[in-house]
Amino acid sequence: MNEDWIAAIAAAEVPEDDVTAVQVAGHDIAFYKTEGQYYATDNICTHGQARLCDGFLYGHEIECPLHQGRFDIRDGRPLCAPASAPIKAYAVKVENGQVLVNLS
Amino acid sequence: MSQPLDGPCTEHRWSGEGTSRTPFWAYTDDNLYRRELERFFYSGHWNYVGLEAEIPQPGDFKRTTIGERSVILVRAEDNEIHVVENVCAHRGVQFCRERYGNRKDFTCPYHQWNYDLKGNLLGVPFRRGVKQNGRINGGMPADFDPKDHGLNRLAVATRNGVVFASFDHDVEPLEDYLGPDILGYFDRVFDGRKLTILGYNRQRIPGNWKLMQENIKDPYHPGLLHTWFVTFGLWRADNQAELKMDAHFRHAAMISTRGSGGKGAVTAGVSSFKEQMSLHDDRLLDVVQEPWWRGPTAVMLTLFPSVIIQQQVNSVSTRHIQPSGPDSFDFVWTHFGFEEDSAEMTRRRLRQSNLFGPGGFVSADDGEVIEFSQEGFRQKPEHRTIAELGGRSVENTDHMVTETLIRGMYAYWRKVMEQ
Repeated sequence: MNEDWIAAIAAAEVPEDDVTAVQVAGHDIAFYKTEGQYYATDNICTHGQARLCDGFLYGHEIECPLHQGRFDIRDGRPLCAPASAPIKAYAVKVENGQVLVNLS
Repeated sequence: MSQPLDGPCTEHRWSGEGTSRTPFWAYTDDNLYRRELERFFYSGHWNYVGLEAEIPQPGDFKRTTIGERSVILVRAEDNEIHVVENVCAHRGVQFCRERYGNRKDFTCPYHQWNYDLKGNLLGVPFRRGVKQNGRINGGMPADFDPKDHGLNRLAVATRNGVVFASFDHDVEPLEDYLGPDILGYFDRVFDGRKLTILGYNRQRIPGNWKLMQENIKDPYHPGLLHTWFVTFGLWRADNQAELKMDAHFRHAAMISTRGSGGKGAVTAGVSSFKEQMSLHDDRLLDVVQEPWWRGPTAVMLTLFPSVIIQQQVNSVSTRHIQPSGPDSFDFVWTHFGFEEDSAEMTRRRLRQSNLFGPGGFVSADDGEVIEFSQEGFRQKPEHRTIAELGGRSVENTDHMVTETLIRGMYAYWRKVMEQ
């Protein structure tokens, strides 16, 4: 299990109440920080294939920049049309100033 | 120059009462045609858009037209049927290009404005602007509300599997629009049985759209133009028949019961009637009486302005008139059957649809003469037709030797167009 954790991004590079994205083991992953907590999801919207890191974070809701579909960043579930299929949400933890993500 | 009917220029005034003589310019004048679109296709009337069986699943859609306007008939997730105008709220793009398909939502290809299946605008790209180096550039104004920018939604009426729509949300209920007599013949075909779609054929006819309505309100020509009909006994002028209209005379039913065919007084003078002619393969005329006919072997319903519901023995179809200018229309045939049909009956309906389809023994003739009519009208627009068979008045009849239904349609046409 332990080897599934991958150091993805420096914790300081994840903006407060916002989103950024990096490549992790070939996957496009979005990282969020809100109310002091870190979250990670797939970065590509399941509706129009836009990058969620270009979108806007409202609390725990990421809004796609293309068609304003929203997902809950805690579990990836779609919250409003046109989003209907969930994105994947991943476990994260912070160690030694690094955000680690578990893609398994 | 040609301000029709009631403009300051009186060049095109239909002089006198009555409708037994239609001026040729009624088929050729472009301004008049524009007014017809406004008054018959875009307000005050129900227009056919399709059959529910064409869009059986949630997300199924069909692109079609009302007048010259492109619309989409679509079944939403909740199975409700909607008709929306195929024009993006943003820059006016006719975004839907496929004739049929299945979608979760609609997206315009130009700027990806995205709509749900009921026509609500869901999202627009970069509505909140674009992030760049800690700034947010552009975006729609803060007061931009997607709720104000959905697709234009039409009024929809469905009856026993047939869908009509109207741009006019104040239009009377469909049942009142058709009237009790015509509704009765409508329900004879569409009595709630599930329909199955057998296929389509489409043709572009270079003539005025009204000529197609007239053609199916005209029992004078079938025995004369369509010699095939006469030869093989599907239609004769001495068939037992009734002609009925709604109270406005805009819709009509031409109801007939075929005789035994062959030689008789009515065909004796028709030059191309060939007594000795027989079909090499007579499966085309393997007619089987069906209980729902309740007698008549052919009922042709003209529902003004844009559809014909046809039952010719075992062949049933809708024929959709889609005008494109004063001198052209597309004519789309949807051949259907019923879910309860046996495989044998389905094959029979398909075979008999050849009477009317592209292998046509009958309807190809109509397309030709409509083109020839239009050519005559174009040549001398100040001249007029004569529709005086059976007299000059408008009334229901119990025979077919009359042009009363054409006079009836023009009585309604004049009432609406001369307002």
